[in-house]
Amino acid sequence: MTIQSGINKITRRNFLALAGGTVGMAALASMGVPASFIENNLEIDLDKIDHQENEADVLVIGGGMAGLFAAVKAHDAGAKVMLVSKGSLGSSGQTPFAKGIFAYDKDLTNVSLDEFVDQVSRSAIGTNNPVYTKQMAEHSLARVTDLREWGFFDSPLYNNSFNKPIKERNIPVMERITITHLIKENDRIAGAAGFSVDEEKVHFFNAKSVILCTGAGGFKPNGFPICDLTHDGTVMAYNIGAKVTGKEWNDGHPGQSINAASCFDGWHGMFERKPGLTSVEIHHDLGVDMNYMAYMNGNPLQMGPPGMNNQKGSTGGPYRPEEFSRKEPPGGDNKPPGREQPKEGGAPPGMGGTVVGGSSAGMSIHKSEGLVPINDKCESTIPGLYAAGDALGSYMAGAIYTQIGSSLAGSAVQGAVAAEAAAKYSKYIEFQNISKNVMNKIEEEILAPLKRDAGYSPAWVTQTLQGIMIPNFVLYIKKESMLKAALAYIEELRDHHMPMLKAADMHELRLAHETRNMILSAEMKLKASIMRTESRCSHYRLDYPDMDNENWQAWINIYKGSDETMQFEKQPFDSWPNGKRIIV
Amino acid sequence: MSIQSINGCIGCETCIKMCPTDVIRLDPKTKKAVIKYPADCQICHLCRMYCPVDAITISPEKSIPVIVSWG
Repeated sequence: MTIQSGINKITRRNFLALAGGTVGMAALASMGVPASFIENNLEIDLDKIDHQENEADVLVIGGGMAGLFAAVKAHDAGAKVMLVSKGSLGSSGQTPFAKGIFAYDKDLTNVSLDEFVDQVSRSAIGTNNPVYTKQMAEHSLARVTDLREWGFFDSPLYNNSFNKPIKERNIPVMERITITHLIKENDRIAGAAGFSVDEEKVHFFNAKSVILCTGAGGFKPNGFPICDLTHDGTVMAYNIGAKVTGKEWNDGHPGQSINAASCFDGWHGMFERKPGLTSVEIHHDLGVDMNYMAYMNGNPLQMGPPGMNNQKGSTGGPYRPEEFSRKEPPGGDNKPPGREQPKEGGAPPGMGGTVVGGSSAGMSIHKSEGLVPINDKCESTIPGLYAAGDALGSYMAGAIYTQIGSSLAGSAVQGAVAAEAAAKYSKYIEFQNISKNVMNKIEEEILAPLKRDAGYSPAWVTQTLQGIMIPNFVLYIKKESMLKAALAYIEELRDHHMPMLKAADMHELRLAHETRNMILSAEMKLKASIMRTESRCSHYRLDYPDMDNENWQAWINIYKGSDETMQFEKQPFDSWPNGKRIIV
Repeated sequence: MSIQSINGCIGCETCIKMCPTDVIRLDPKTKKAVIKYPADCQICHLCRMYCPVDAITISPEKSIPVIVSWG
C-alpha cells in the first residue's frame, strides 16, 4: 500500500522528470506513442462540478426490460418511484437486441408447468433454482400481455413502447447517469450515487429501497452488444457487503470471423426485426463445447454434433445430457442463405458458419450471475436492496441456456416481483440521513480520475485486461496454472493501475469506472473458476473434466470480508443462503 | 471505422440519446450531432435505426487499436 500511495502522489512535473523531461517526451513521440496516452488533458472545469440530491421510495437503477417493470409495478403498488439509467429507456444494455420473448401459455402447449420446471432442472444438472424457473414461466404471459398493450410488439425499437407506461404514470426518469455507489447506513440501504455524462454533476439519491436492474456485463468484447455492460450492479453491491454469485459460468456465444466487431452483422439483421414470442422448447445449449473443439482442433471449426458438416469430432469435452443432444446447431438465425428467415422474434446469433470465439467474453449465462437472492422476492442479502433480470443471480435457467426467449421474459417477471416487494418494504420504513462526510467521500471517489495529472487511460487498461482474459485458454477452457497466471496479471491491474485510472472528461470518467468494475469482475471470475474443481454446464476445467456430485452440488457465493478481501463460500443447490431448503 | 459519418443531421439529438456507449455528442456551435468517441462504437446500428432522416452511415469494420506497452 505504501508503494501505491507514493505513486499516486507523483505530479505531472515529477512524472515528466522521471520520463526524462522533454527529451523523454520527444523520444516517446518518435516511437509513435501519442501524447494523449500520457497527459491527462482535462477538458472540464473541476471547480464547476455541481451536485444534486434526489429522493424516491423505490430507486430503480437501469432502463432495460427489468427496470421498466420494476418502475411501473412499484408505482402501481403505491411507491414514489424514480428510474435512473446509464443510457436511455429501452436503448441500453441487452434489451434492445433481444427479439424473442417466452410466454408460457397452458392453452398452447401440452407441457405442464411442473413438467416444464422438471425438464429445465434436468438440463441444468441441478444448477437452476426451480422456484425462479417456475416463477418466470408462471408470470410470463401476464408480462407479455402488459408489453402488448404498450406497443412493444409493434416496432423493432423499444424506446417509445417503454416510455408509454412510464409517461402515463409520470414516473421521473433520469437518463445518461452512471451510478457508481450504493449507500448503506445502519446495515440497510440508504441510497445511491453517480454522475451525469452530459453535465458536470454528481447525483445523490436518497432511497428507502433500491432495485438493481443493471444487467450483466462483460469485458467490452467484440461481437456482442454488451460494451455498455460492465457488471456495475454486482460490483457496487459487493462493495457494500452484498453476496454475489455465478462468476465461474460462461456465455459461449461466438462471433463471425469476418468483421468480428460488428454486432449488427453478426446478428444477421435481427436488430431490425420486431420482437416475437417463443414457445416451450427445452435445450442444453452449451457454447463452451465449441470453445473446446477450437482448443483441441484449431480453426476453422464448424458447429454441431461430432460428424456434422464433416467436422472431425473431439473426444471428451463438456458433458451434455443425452436427453438434450441436438440434431442441428443451436440458434435459428445462421441458416444458409436461401432458407426463409423469420420475420419477427428469434434466437440470439446462431452457431453455424465460420466463427470466432469470445464475442460475449466476460459474461456468464443470463440470470446466473449477480446478487444472491435470499428468497423468491428478488431480495438481496442487504435489507432494502433488490435486483432483477441479469443483475440477479437467480439461476432461473441454471448455468446453461435451456429455453430461448426465457431471459427477456425472466427480466420482465423479476422486475415486477422485485417492484412489489420493494414497494411493500418501503411502506414501513423511513428515509435515512446520508451524512455530509459520506457524501464528500463518495464524491471524492467518483471524481478522482478527473483529478489525476498522470495515470493510465481506461481504454489502455481495458485493452490490457482483454488481452489477459479473452483468450480461449483462460476463461473458457480452464486449468489451474493458466487461471493463476491470469490472476497475477489482474491483481497487478487491481493494485497498481486501478488506483491510477485517469479521465479527461465525463465520458472518460464513465470509462474509468467501467474499467474498475471489469477488473474486479475478472478477479471474481478467475478465483471462482479456480475454486470450482469440477466441470459442469458452462464451466469446463481441462484438469477436472468430470462432474463432482459429491463436492460440487453447490453454487459459489462471493462477498467482501471484514478485512476487505474477497471471500468465497459454497451454497448447496437446494438451499437459500440462510440454509433453508428451496421448495417449489 | 464503425460509425462513419452523419450527413443531413437536423439536430434532434435522438441518436445521441439512443447510443448505448455515448459515442455521439451535439456540436455546441453547429447544433448538429458529431461522432465524438468513435473508439467506443460497438457497431450495433441503434443510432442509424432511430435517426428520423436516415443521416447516419456505418461500416462493419473496426480497426483494432495499436497495442503499446503502457499508455
